Amino acid sequence: MDADSDVALDILITNVVCVFRTRCHLNLRKIALEGANVIYKRDVGKVLMKLRKPRITATIWSSGKIICTGATSEEEAKFGARRLARSLQKLGFQVIFTDFKVVNVLAVCNMPFEIRLPEFTKNNRPHASYEPELHPAVCYRIKALRATLQIFSTGSITVTGPNVKAVATAVEQIYPYVFESRKEIL
Amino acid sequence: MACANPVPKLYRSVIEDVIEGVRELFIEEGIEEQVLKDLKQLWETKVMQSKATEGFFRNSHPGPLFTLQLPHNLHQTIQTSTASLVIPAGRTIPNFTTTELVTSNSSANYSLPSGIGYPIHVPAGVTLQTASGHLYKVNVPVMVTQTPGGASILQHPIQQIFQQLGQPSIIQTSVTQLNPSSVQAATEKSQRLETILSQPTVLHPGPVERKQLENLATNETLARPPVGNEHKTTPELLLSQQPISLESPRYMNLPGAVFTPQASQTDSNGGPVVSVSGSMTQTLDGKRLSSGPRHSFHQQSDVEVLIFKNRMGENGALKHPRSLEEPCGLPALEEESSAQMDLSIQTIDDIKEIIQIDGTGDTSSNEEIGSTRDVDENEFLGIIDAEDLKVLEEEGDSISNEDSTTNSSDNEEPQIDIVEEDPLNSGDDVSEQDVPDLFDTDNVIVCQYDKIHRSKNKWKFYLKDGVMCFGGKDYVFAKAIGDAEW
Repeated sequence: MDADSDVALDILITNVVCVFRTRCHLNLRKIALEGANVIYKRDVGKVLMKLRKPRITATIWSSGKIICTGATSEEEAKFGARRLARSLQKLGFQVIFTDFKVVNVLAVCNMPFEIRLPEFTKNNRPHASYEPELHPAVCYRIKALRATLQIFSTGSITVTGPNVKAVATAVEQIYPYVFESRKEIL
Repeated sequence: MACANPVPKLYRSVIEDVIEGVRELFIEEGIEEQVLKDLKQLWETKVMQSKATEGFFRNSHPGPLFTLQLPHNLHQTIQTSTASLVIPAGRTIPNFTTTELVTSNSSANYSLPSGIGYPIHVPAGVTLQTASGHLYKVNVPVMVTQTPGGASILQHPIQQIFQQLGQPSIIQTSVTQLNPSSVQAATEKSQRLETILSQPTVLHPGPVERKQLENLATNETLARPPVGNEHKTTPELLLSQQPISLESPRYMNLPGAVFTPQASQTDSNGGPVVSVSGSMTQTLDGKRLSSGPRHSFHQQSDVEVLIFKNRMGENGALKHPRSLEEPCGLPALEEESSAQMDLSIQTIDDIKEIIQIDGTGDTSSNEEIGSTRDVDENEFLGIIDAEDLKVLEEEGDSISNEDSTTNSSDNEEPQIDIVEEDPLNSGDDVSEQDVPDLFDTDNVIVCQYDKIHRSKNKWKFYLKDGVMCFGGKDYVFAKAIGDAEW
């Protein structure tokens, strides 16, 4: 039968990556010396600042561009980014919180069944690519959503997409195809 | 149980090393030794006060060694004034009784005990020799006070005044600096000495002035100087015989300083006087080489002219003490004495009015300067922009940055000026650090690191060669390994 399109699967968002700009030059040395919880990577010209509350790690460049990683939701990402900008403002920089954008969302999903990957690959020729010698998972790309799914034989699927919505949609889309090539437990 | 606490030793050695290393720099800069001593004291007291380490006690400074050299002729005076040699000291009171002195030989050397406390009252006529070897001839009763922690008496500012003395300088001049309480006495003495000093510069090795010299040097036993031409020839002899006075040939030796060591060497009468004159001639010779302190130049310049006149009058063919092995580089006086006089006058004039040829008095190439200025300005204008950018980058000044960025942003997004989405309110929605720096502790480690490693929030530290301040106490380590969770 056709798989139930109602996907009651738990999609766990493990990572949200976002960027924003401060619109001002940042003195990395000053941040490294005066900021709290910072790692100064002088060789590459970055400062890592870790926050506890939303557990995020921010990579700060002197140009004022900041990449924020480690959040578990989009809201949390924004919240953390703002808090980070706030702390930079406290250090004395004239920070303006602009151009906030979620760049990447990583989610995990677990199928209640195992999947036969070679069969799945054969059925989904253009989108799926499978090189078992290189990587044990099938890489399935949905161009429309700009999402990539990695499908493992255990039924675990890793989805990366531009935002949470796209990720959710991708999982929904892949479910029927995966369901087709599932491994029935007799 | 364990070996002794290494920290105080280490700290002390650090302090010593730093002070030693910096000593030369200080001297170069012209900063007194006293300042360095003060620095050391301050440092040590601070370390002690901080109680960062136990058992940190200041090294006891070995007292300065003074060797008293009592000249031969002092014994009589000593007998008369026994009290003068009783040195009132702060802690220990060594008494040099007269009997000791009398029984000793002509040159009595006494070492003041190291633990002696200052101030010391030294009577007249005593020559002191410090541990560093400097000879100090004391002409008048002197109060010697101690610079804390130091034995060096010779101070630089004083040297400027008494530069002519060279090595053998006078203690009291340094005392003037050290002990304000004895300033009055010292100033009198110093003035007197200065007069003594200045007098010889004005005096000539002429018969008239000998009397003046005689009057001046009252302490010294001056025999009547010889008269006439002997005076001229004897310098040669004496100077060769008394090389001591030539020690610092370019300097005027204070009569006292010169006399005393030669007191036992008075070969001929008027030796002292002549040596002064001998040294005078030396200075005159040396003057040509523009050696010697400028201080005495102008005084000597007058002298020189007069001397030449004298010599002209007395000896047509004047031979300078050629036996002096001084590389004077003078033209033969005999032949060109008159020319020399002119030369001397000329040199005097030159020296008096040294015309500055360059710098502000420059008259040439004004146009060049103007033109270069224009060029510089243009260049400067061009440079300004680059510098501005640099400044902007350096300081991160937002206002100026906004200007520059608005330019750029205008280019890219002409519509979107700096539209701040949800401007950061000052701590409105974005809360402050809910965990403000919980550890603003004073537990600090200052060290070098071999490796610092992190996995997620697990940290590993491999440290070396460090000092740890933990609970107010200092601990030193060569290696330290640590684990931490963030």
